[in-house]
Amino acid sequence: MKKKNIIRFFSTLAITASLLAASALFVSADAENQDVVVTMPLTSEPTSGFDPAYGWGAGEHVHEPLIQSTLVRTTKDLEIENDLATEYSCSDDGLTWTVTIRDDVKFTDGEPLTASDVAFTYNTCRDASSVNDFTMLKEAVAIDDTTVEFHMNEPYSIWPYTMAIVGIVPEHAYDENYGQNPIGSGRYILKQWDRGQQVIFEANSDYYGETPKIQKLTVLFMEEDAALAAAMAGQVDVAHTAAMYSEQTIDGYSLLAVETVDNRGFNLPTTEPEEIDGITYGNALTSDVNVRRAINLAIDREEMIENVLNGYGTAAYSVCDKMPWYNEEAVTEYDLDAAKALMDEAGWVEGSDGIREKDGEKAELTLMFANGDSVRQALAEDTANQLRELGISVKTESVGWDTAYDRAQSDLLVWGWGAHTPMELYNLYHTNGDTGLAEYSPYANETVDQYMDVALQCSDLEESYELWKKAQWDGTTGITQEGDIPWIWLCNIDHLYFVRDGLQVADQKLHPHGHGWSIVNNIDEWEWE
Amino acid sequence: MNQRQKAKILFAFSAAFLIAVAVAGVFCHDAAMVTDFSRKNLAPCLKYPFGTDWLGRNMFYRTLTGLSMSILIGVCAAGVSAVMALILGIAAATLGKKADSVISFLIDLVMGIPHILLLILISYAMGKGLKGVIVGVALTHWTSLARLIRAEVMQLKESEYIQIAAKLGHSKLEIAVKHMLPHLLPQFLVGLVLMFPHAILHESSITFLGFGLSSEQPAIGVILSESMTYLIMGKWWLALFPGLALVLTVGLFDLGGNALRRILDPNSVHE
Repeated sequence: MKKKNIIRFFSTLAITASLLAASALFVSADAENQDVVVTMPLTSEPTSGFDPAYGWGAGEHVHEPLIQSTLVRTTKDLEIENDLATEYSCSDDGLTWTVTIRDDVKFTDGEPLTASDVAFTYNTCRDASSVNDFTMLKEAVAIDDTTVEFHMNEPYSIWPYTMAIVGIVPEHAYDENYGQNPIGSGRYILKQWDRGQQVIFEANSDYYGETPKIQKLTVLFMEEDAALAAAMAGQVDVAHTAAMYSEQTIDGYSLLAVETVDNRGFNLPTTEPEEIDGITYGNALTSDVNVRRAINLAIDREEMIENVLNGYGTAAYSVCDKMPWYNEEAVTEYDLDAAKALMDEAGWVEGSDGIREKDGEKAELTLMFANGDSVRQALAEDTANQLRELGISVKTESVGWDTAYDRAQSDLLVWGWGAHTPMELYNLYHTNGDTGLAEYSPYANETVDQYMDVALQCSDLEESYELWKKAQWDGTTGITQEGDIPWIWLCNIDHLYFVRDGLQVADQKLHPHGHGWSIVNNIDEWEWE
Repeated sequence: MNQRQKAKILFAFSAAFLIAVAVAGVFCHDAAMVTDFSRKNLAPCLKYPFGTDWLGRNMFYRTLTGLSMSILIGVCAAGVSAVMALILGIAAATLGKKADSVISFLIDLVMGIPHILLLILISYAMGKGLKGVIVGVALTHWTSLARLIRAEVMQLKESEYIQIAAKLGHSKLEIAVKHMLPHLLPQFLVGLVLMFPHAILHESSITFLGFGLSSEQPAIGVILSESMTYLIMGKWWLALFPGLALVLTVGLFDLGGNALRRILDPNSVHE
């Protein structure tokens, strides 16, 4: 919440007022119109500008960088296809990636894009190392004008997914102000950026691929309620919105629901409580695998999606549902009776007040959610209601991110994840060297670690998918219901938009976590009817 | 019916109402936390007089609990603040020139900073939550009452009966307790009661702004700030009833305080 309420209040006032006043200036949607106005959350504005080395397009909320072009790109099923690259290959030891690029690409200032620009971009990203992890890259070297080699510190089979998000910057026009005045070879050119308000893009007429159909894209940054007001006033073409507004009907607009891997779930610490440096790691109740399995069985995901998301969501069973590296063994049907049996087996017996007990201890948990996030709050409340049926008393509590990470080592926290790279599995489930436990919630399984290590060393991407799947469940162990189940996944939240009638928003690939730039990934293919 | 009787009735009414709200809220606390998605977003009806919100929480219970929390926090914080004012006011008037200038400077300093700003600062520094709010309100609201008491004690010191008591050999403490305190008490009590509405409003404000109680609590500030999001969808009941209830509570405290002043003020006996 914090300042947000004040900002929200005044921005709603200001935006409705100014939009009404300025309505005459806007061009209404007609057949000749080649412009699109899209709203995004305030948090989507890139704080360091449009510089790939400082997080543009990368990080937690991956999207295509629009202004710059990338070596490869992800397809609708999140496989890899060439963009700037014409061919790429990996040496057998996994330590050298060789990429050849097109020779006909120019930056928007007229200079040709060469392999040395590519090498420069990756070396800059590695040195800045702000949002994305580039520790696996030793050096990028331009062999000739169209060939670049990446020398790796360690094998990294999913390197193409990194190549899909790093926009190539021009070596000759790169300085510390690049984020404000980006030059690229992408589909759009940055025309104007009013910090805190809007960004205007214009189509790049020299683009080497298909010419963009939409000539001008204006992005307005505002909260959901302000976006709704703007749509009601007819001033935007696409307004982002949330499930709680989905029942609203606006004349001339229809609701677009985009499927996502923007998942919500919570962690279950798998170790016994232990205090290290003032932080408690582990949780007595959830350290029992039968309790964790019972919790997973007792979650009725369909009921949750219907109630909390008004039906705009899909059940989630892993952090990477529907991705090429997703193992379908993770699917767990709701079965309260089986869950109760598991709790009985674990020695937690129902007490007089319906709450289970063992050795005089009550089955109690704290489930935290991020302050001011109404969807996470509702998911937490619904989870608490469902687990009460199982005989576990769950207290919900709102926390700020300043304390949430430490507290999640011993208590449950509602998280949001979902990215277009298997690295996310690694980040959540792989142990790290210092503690011997996974980073966000105490968990360790050697076999799972090994599968992921081998997957990264694989020289073939397709082959690595199989290993990522095995890391989730290999028939005997893993992170699914039959395995250790250290995280419970609840749902993938559909990203909702009010779209003006007549605007054809092209097919979207599964959106990752983050409700911002993903929608305009393929803005060049949109069309007015 | 004369003015005094009216004042007594008014005072009794507001006191009874506020106590009833405070007590009822405490008993409703558990019911206010219950979420039930089968009854979400209901407009006010007989069963749910204040409607329900997006989590299906009963807004009537939530409002009652929120008000009750606000009243208890307000009373608690204002009480601490008033005791601080009493001690500092008396100290300023009796401990000599130096102490007086230090305390007067403190009063000017705190008064010089806008209440809400100082409150946010203190509450945030104390880690927000219940503790932050209480300390924040307590530390910001004592100034005007302290100044009033200081002036009153200064005046008392010069009055003849105090001077005579001193000449007759009574100790300073005895004079303060036996002769000064009874004279100060009415001023103090009225000042205390009139501080409640301020404290309650300030508690709701900083909670509304997100620097107070955390958002799963049924606090009136949380209720109002959540309702902002839903106003645009026409869910007026989420803001209207809790808002009105807050205004009513604050208004009643003010009425009660003024009635109390009239009752305690000897000049109004014959009105």
